[in-house]
Amino acid sequence: MYFLHKLLWELRRDPALAARFRDDPDAVLDGYELDPAERAAIAARDFRTLYDRGANPYLLYFCALQIGVSRADYYEQLRAADSEGRTLNG
Amino acid sequence: MAELSGVFATAHSPGLTGFPERADPGKRDAVMAAFGEAGKRIADIGPDAIVAVSVEHFTNFFLANLPAFAVVTSKRHLGPVTKEMGEFLRIPQRYYPGAPELARHIYRYALGHEFDPALADGGFDFDENFCVPLRLLDADDSIPVVPIVVNGVNPPYPTPKRCHDFGRMLRGAIESATTARKVVVLATGGLSHWVGMPQAGQINERFDRDFLIRLESGDPGRLTDYDDAVLDAAGNGAHEIRTWLVAAGAAGVGVPFETLAYEPVPEWLTGTAVAAARIGAHQ
Repeated sequence: MYFLHKLLWELRRDPALAARFRDDPDAVLDGYELDPAERAAIAARDFRTLYDRGANPYLLYFCALQIGVSRADYYEQLRAADSEGRTLNG
Repeated sequence: MAELSGVFATAHSPGLTGFPERADPGKRDAVMAAFGEAGKRIADIGPDAIVAVSVEHFTNFFLANLPAFAVVTSKRHLGPVTKEMGEFLRIPQRYYPGAPELARHIYRYALGHEFDPALADGGFDFDENFCVPLRLLDADDSIPVVPIVVNGVNPPYPTPKRCHDFGRMLRGAIESATTARKVVVLATGGLSHWVGMPQAGQINERFDRDFLIRLESGDPGRLTDYDDAVLDAAGNGAHEIRTWLVAAGAAGVGVPFETLAYEPVPEWLTGTAVAAARIGAHQ
């Protein structure tokens, strides 16, 4: 989880990194030791999966905004049912 | 020796400066009037420095090195951290003056009194934590600021009692300072709110009002009687009340607070409160 948090934090702090991520996510993701499920989720901008895995909500939310996921889309992801029909306590 | 002349605690919701118009006008007016009253009291005191206690939202610190407490001894502080955040908060970027001599005294005093805060001697930038309340309390940035950070953004957190004790130590530090005459403590954060969680926009009004009753009581036992589950039920942002506990400890054991405003404001995503310790001219 440390490297996922590091990625989320650095994407927020470094606009050039966020721009590179938007153009070529794999090139950026290669620089972080991510669990395969984490890597797939962030590449797909699937914040719900990362939230369910216990990532810090501040880091998730700030990163989402920085890589072009709107506030509304972010919260819609978190409030939607997952693939097994579960919803979070929204 | 310096006098701790006033102790205040306020919300720091970005909506206060960034999108005040979205709130119900009656609630907005009540909150802004309370900020105005607190600002007037601070101006009447005419402090040499504000010791501002808040969290920071991963603007400077990260999990590679996350202090439970930190004292910022910089000469000046950039805020908001980016131009974009400045536009979002409607606060132009600027440098806030620091009070490095007082800050270093507080840091040294803490180490001598069984506390071991981290030291940030430069490069510490502000987010809404300090920029938003300072905009409403000291719009000209005329008062130097000593920032103190409490971890309220990533568990595990310092205990409520430890935060209150930190505040008691802080009072001793201020009262033994020789480089300032009058000092104000300002805590910012809370009350109930959720950031980056599905409940964002909800308010736990019952929690908020109960917290303010405890704060008004001046009873440190009640004020620090919180476990993480109770705070979690008021949102990840409710952990920021730790900064208020520091303020309460600084105000003094048994010193009650006055709630200048409390409004649940979903449009600002927070239970929005402004409070002042009943000390000095406002006992």
